[in-house]
Amino acid sequence: MAISLEYVVKETSGNLWRNRLMSLAAVLTISVSLALAGAALLLKQGVSTATSQWKGGVQLLIFMQPNATAAQTNAVSSQLKSLPEIKSYFYMDQSKSYQEFKQLMANSPELVKSVTESQIPPSFRVVLKNPNDAPSVGSLFQQQVGVKDVNFNRGAINTMLHVTSIVQFVIVALAVVLLISASVLILNVIRVAIFSRRREVAVMKLVGATNWFIRIPFMLEGLVQGLVGAIVAAAAVVGIQSLFHYVVSHFQVTVLSNFLVSSHDVVMTELFVVAMGIIVGTAGSAFAVRRYLEV
Amino acid sequence: MIKVENVYKRYKEDQYALVDCSLEIDRGEFVFVVGASGSGKSTLLRVLLREERPDTGQVWVAGKELSSMPGWKVPFFRRNIGAIFQDFRLLPNKTVFGNVAFALEVIGKSKRHIMNHVPQMLELVGLHDKQDRFPDELSGGEQQRVAIARAFINRPLILLADEPTGNLDPENSWSVMGLLERINRTGTTVLMATHDVGIVDSMRRRVIELDHGQIKRDQTRGVYGLGQQTS
Ligand SMILES: Nc1ncnc2c1ncn2[C@@H]1O[C@H](COP(=O)(O)OP(=O)(O)OP(=O)(O)O)[C@@H](O)[C@H]1O
Ligand SMILES: [Mg+2]
Repeated sequence: MAISLEYVVKETSGNLWRNRLMSLAAVLTISVSLALAGAALLLKQGVSTATSQWKGGVQLLIFMQPNATAAQTNAVSSQLKSLPEIKSYFYMDQSKSYQEFKQLMANSPELVKSVTESQIPPSFRVVLKNPNDAPSVGSLFQQQVGVKDVNFNRGAINTMLHVTSIVQFVIVALAVVLLISASVLILNVIRVAIFSRRREVAVMKLVGATNWFIRIPFMLEGLVQGLVGAIVAAAAVVGIQSLFHYVVSHFQVTVLSNFLVSSHDVVMTELFVVAMGIIVGTAGSAFAVRRYLEV
Repeated sequence: MIKVENVYKRYKEDQYALVDCSLEIDRGEFVFVVGASGSGKSTLLRVLLREERPDTGQVWVAGKELSSMPGWKVPFFRRNIGAIFQDFRLLPNKTVFGNVAFALEVIGKSKRHIMNHVPQMLELVGLHDKQDRFPDELSGGEQQRVAIARAFINRPLILLADEPTGNLDPENSWSVMGLLERINRTGTTVLMATHDVGIVDSMRRRVIELDHGQIKRDQTRGVYGLGQQTS
């Protein structure tokens, strides 16, 4: 059966307008919760970029000079092999390291352009049996010929990962609670809409309107609320991201520049936010329609 | 047109609203359903409209068996049935025209179809000059005529009327009855539940009397109460 677009638009916007205050409350709750969820996602991606060199439980980084000879590199390698404290290690050659550098610095194209592959230091990534051995093992290599630098600052990385995971957990928990309240708000808006239109619904049933014809305007009402909330949240996520960019580049906070996420990650986050908005809006109204609209 | 076979319906345990009801109504008949308050008249009409399902027994209306009809078919079935009620059931925020047009809008009829058919129907019920009024600006009789226009706009095969004159004074009652008679003369089967002795007795149509959910009497040119019949 044909449902005219005009009818659906008229009914849905009429319902939204009649319950505009409650609709606004639902939309705002959705935007706040989704903005939080989006921010948590960006934080997670930023931290994962900033700590990518330490992935896989790496506790010790030995950077070689970019111009270290094969003999010097092999010497370090065989020494690592012989040490009993070491569980495993791997070698990141210059070209792999350059790829990683490009990824890390994706947000600073000028920097990437100014550095060539031959300037990048290759490195050994070392996993120890006992993380506490990192300083003592590291110091063994500090003075070795061909070694540029040794980094065993795993503790700071661990603290950062720990703190961000707590922050993330709190944000996500808050977002989930708010999303649940948003669905309940939407459910309630739709319930009120159904109640205030019960006479129309009764007449519709009497004259033979199909169930979907009766349901669709109410379902769309929830969907629109979820979508509008999600769009506001998506705008907020872009806002947060560009504010961060601005702070980093304007105040030259280089420490934070490691946390910059790629535009691909931002797009994925926005898609997630919009999808969640649609899901929450539709779920809330679908539940209300099932529960309160006896068709 | 309507066939009811051994229908039982109860709302609560051991409180039957319909008990072993069987009846048959042909196309074009005009039938009164009478009986004391609570005897099951409204329940019978609701069963025929598939607003209630019988507990046992079978019901055929306009060629369809209702107790086994799946829910999604019910709206399409109802488009063949008109229904009017004691309380009119008009939408207070729509005009006379809007109320009648609504019945066509919600089953997906085109604007052109609506513009063609609604004025014609309002003409038939004598309200074309009041099409922009709202229900609370009309008398009870006029409101019921709007409801009739809405019920009849799809030219249903059957018109079910549950005490359509219950809220009306005698004059308005008669204008409504005149309309129902005209609709009946177009070939539409009319089934009307009523307490109105005067109307039943003077129209001398078929009368079915319910008593505690049972069919107590089924008479072709009947009157309201037993013992007053003349042959
Ligand atoms: N929705 C309901 N829930 C429970 N019981 C009901 C319901 N509707 C009707 N009943 C009961 O079913 C019986 C038949 O009711 P029904 O409304 O069919 O009677 P009626 O003949 O239309 O009465 P009236 O002349 O007063 O309109 C009554 O005992 C009534 O109390
Ligand atoms: Mg009744």
